[in-house]
Amino acid sequence: MGFFVTTLIFIMVGIIASLMVRICCNRGPSANLLHSTLVITATACCWVMWAIVYLAQMNPLIVPILNEVE
Amino acid sequence: MDLLRSEPMQLVQLIIPVEAAYRTISYLGDLGLFQFKDLNAEKSPFQRTYATQIKRCGEMARKLRFFKEQMTKAGLSPSTRSVARADFNLDDLEVQLAEFEAELTEIKANNEKLQRAYSELVEYKLVLQKAGEFFYSAQNTAVAWQREVEAHHIGEGSIDSPLLLEQEILTDPSKQVKLGFVSGLVPREKSMAFERILFRATRGNVFLKQALVEDCVIDPVLGEKIEKNVFVIFFSGERVKNKILKICDAFGANRYPFMDDLGKQYQMITEVSRRLLELKTTVDAGLLHWSNLLQTIGHQFEQWNHLVKKEKSIYHTLNMLSIDVTKKCLVAEGWCPVFATNQIQNALKQATFDSNSQLGAIFQVLHTKESPPTYFRTNKFTLPFQEIVDAYGVAKYQEVNPGVYVIITFPFLFAVMFGDWGHGICLLLATLYFIVKEKKFSSQKLGDIMEMTFGGRYVIMMMALFSIYTGLIYNEFFSVPFELFGPSAYECPDPSCRGASIVGLIRVRPTYPFGVDPKWHGSRSELPFLNSLKMKMSILLGVAQMNLGIILGYFNATFFGNNLNIWYQFVPQMIFLNSLFGYLSLLIIVKWCMGSQADLYHVMIYMFLSPTDDLGENQLFVGQKMLQLVLLLLALVSIPWMLFPKPFLLKKQHQERHQGRSYTLLHSIDDSPELERHHDSLGHVEFEFSEVFVHQLIHTIEFVLGAVSNTASYLRLWALSLAHSELSSVFYEKVLLLAWGFNNVVILTIGIIVFIFATVGVLLVMETLSAFLHALRLHWVEFQNKFYEGDGYKFYPFSFALLTDEDA
Repeated sequence: MGFFVTTLIFIMVGIIASLMVRICCNRGPSANLLHSTLVITATACCWVMWAIVYLAQMNPLIVPILNEVE
Repeated sequence: MDLLRSEPMQLVQLIIPVEAAYRTISYLGDLGLFQFKDLNAEKSPFQRTYATQIKRCGEMARKLRFFKEQMTKAGLSPSTRSVARADFNLDDLEVQLAEFEAELTEIKANNEKLQRAYSELVEYKLVLQKAGEFFYSAQNTAVAWQREVEAHHIGEGSIDSPLLLEQEILTDPSKQVKLGFVSGLVPREKSMAFERILFRATRGNVFLKQALVEDCVIDPVLGEKIEKNVFVIFFSGERVKNKILKICDAFGANRYPFMDDLGKQYQMITEVSRRLLELKTTVDAGLLHWSNLLQTIGHQFEQWNHLVKKEKSIYHTLNMLSIDVTKKCLVAEGWCPVFATNQIQNALKQATFDSNSQLGAIFQVLHTKESPPTYFRTNKFTLPFQEIVDAYGVAKYQEVNPGVYVIITFPFLFAVMFGDWGHGICLLLATLYFIVKEKKFSSQKLGDIMEMTFGGRYVIMMMALFSIYTGLIYNEFFSVPFELFGPSAYECPDPSCRGASIVGLIRVRPTYPFGVDPKWHGSRSELPFLNSLKMKMSILLGVAQMNLGIILGYFNATFFGNNLNIWYQFVPQMIFLNSLFGYLSLLIIVKWCMGSQADLYHVMIYMFLSPTDDLGENQLFVGQKMLQLVLLLLALVSIPWMLFPKPFLLKKQHQERHQGRSYTLLHSIDDSPELERHHDSLGHVEFEFSEVFVHQLIHTIEFVLGAVSNTASYLRLWALSLAHSELSSVFYEKVLLLAWGFNNVVILTIGIIVFIFATVGVLLVMETLSAFLHALRLHWVEFQNKFYEGDGYKFYPFSFALLTDEDA
């Protein structure tokens, strides 16, 4: 799966998680906003980490060189 | 948004009629949303109105402490709080407590006396027995000896030495020296010294006979078990007797009278035994009564304790109110959240109604320039995160609370440094145990470390969840990679894999879809690749978090209407940080996307040293040289932009504000003088231009130099992550695999045990603490110094719930 497809998947997961949190614990507008912020921050952090690792491996400058087999 | 800024607070004045005062404070304490200000700060504790009541409460608290002491001595523990009686009177409780105390002290004294008498009798009995044995055996030998002498005498009746014989017979009855004796008990450790000193003091003219007592005896004076010896000292003469008595007293030897006569001895022994039995039953009865009394106290102890504490706190609070004798009411001032207005007004109404007072209480909002306390409404999940932020500094009233982001970024940065989904699962299981047993643990009293771990259970849960995620990304399960998300991208160059250790694997498939490719682990080029990846990741995460910090500063500036801060702090800061380190992040991403061989160190350094030079093979995109020149110029321009305009503009602002300020307002006569004192606080502020300029200079230098040092500081994310994975790898390969290689069950078991201990001790405990600390530092310093002022004070309401938390 390419970069953009997986990014799209992350966005979908984020939106679904926000909606679920909104449905499960609906505690007034300010609390809802806080919960959405937390979910979106978490999704963003997870996506950033994945994206960095993926991009780094897309066009590698070095390849794994195995150890000498004994 | 809920936690973003402090709840709006207001300064409120309450005017309470005197009859309703006690009840009002009590209801407000139940509510727990009002922080009282001390209006009587200048008065000493003895001058305040309710000093006597506090003294009474203090007395009762002392009595309760005494009860607790007695209960621990009896080995009872106070039972958990029984059902609280709604109607309770302080005076009644006082009387009850006084009664109990008197009774307890009396019983204690009686018990002690009885115990002492009992021990003395026991000792006396021992003396009678042992000394009796002496005399009995001595008499036997004497009789035997006499018989022998007589026999000898009869047998040997010779004329050889008639005078001697006569002398013997003569001396026998008449010149008999009357020997006195002293009997008693001496502690065994001192017996040798006792004997020696007796010998020396009396020049060897006494005869001491000792006998061991097998069991330990309770000493009546000291009350503890000591090993003792029974002694009998025979002496003659009055002076010797005095010396002996003094020596006995000095050695703490208890003396008991003893009779010569055998018949009397028997009588004494039987009488003493009888009295011992009697005393024993009395002592036992006394102890039983004592423990019964303590049990009755124990049932209600917790409740009384709680009540007395409540009373004391109510009176302390009442002392903080100022009494307005002319209007027969008390004036209270304090802070409360705006949302609590209705609740407080209801409580006031209820209190005045319940105490049948004629007047109602008055609730009046005051306007003040004082800075209110900061109050965040947290629940059990957000509380530990807020406490982490507050540990560094409590947020200024209504400034942006970093806690909102800390809830997610702190566990995330921890996980970047911890990254192993096996370890993450272990942490998660451990913390789930705490969370499931929440109710049980929160009512218990735990030790210090357990208390901290329990308090942070939700933090650790978040840390564990994120660790599982980053562990999946780093592809480490106790340092073992798995191919979970699809086929690896690399394959051996030839079927026999011979070229793999020289040239390396070749890329045959598209990138491994989620995380680090499993083929990297164990290869020779693993470290160069992972180091490059993790360092660049740290820089990217760091620049992102610092940008977030500066943006939060923008939100603060907009909220407080501080235009200066927006144009002369936020904008230049963003430009400076992003034209240097934002550009570096961009280069990193472009290099990854294009797979170019450009050396980014070289690019960045020569951007500063010789910006007009041609980039050559380090060029990543067209127009890079131009872009670098522009960015460098922007960065250089932003430094004086941060430094110079703000002090001058502040000076202009100050002059505008204080232009027509030669006259001050006349205060109206109605306001009480105390209010005037409180609200006049800020008044006329002096403006020192040099001070403001130096402050701005420091701020600018801090930011500029900090941009470099803070970005580098984020490299600790790389460093700790490397340390964790290396440690984990060593434990796996050098312990577990080594033990497996021996093919021996015993060695394998030992290997597994060592592996488990090493993993738990080093990786799960030490590494967790280490990563926790470093993630905390990254937040407190690198993130928060971009926007956080943190010089507020916390809202600490008068609440009974907080009281019990304090002591428990």
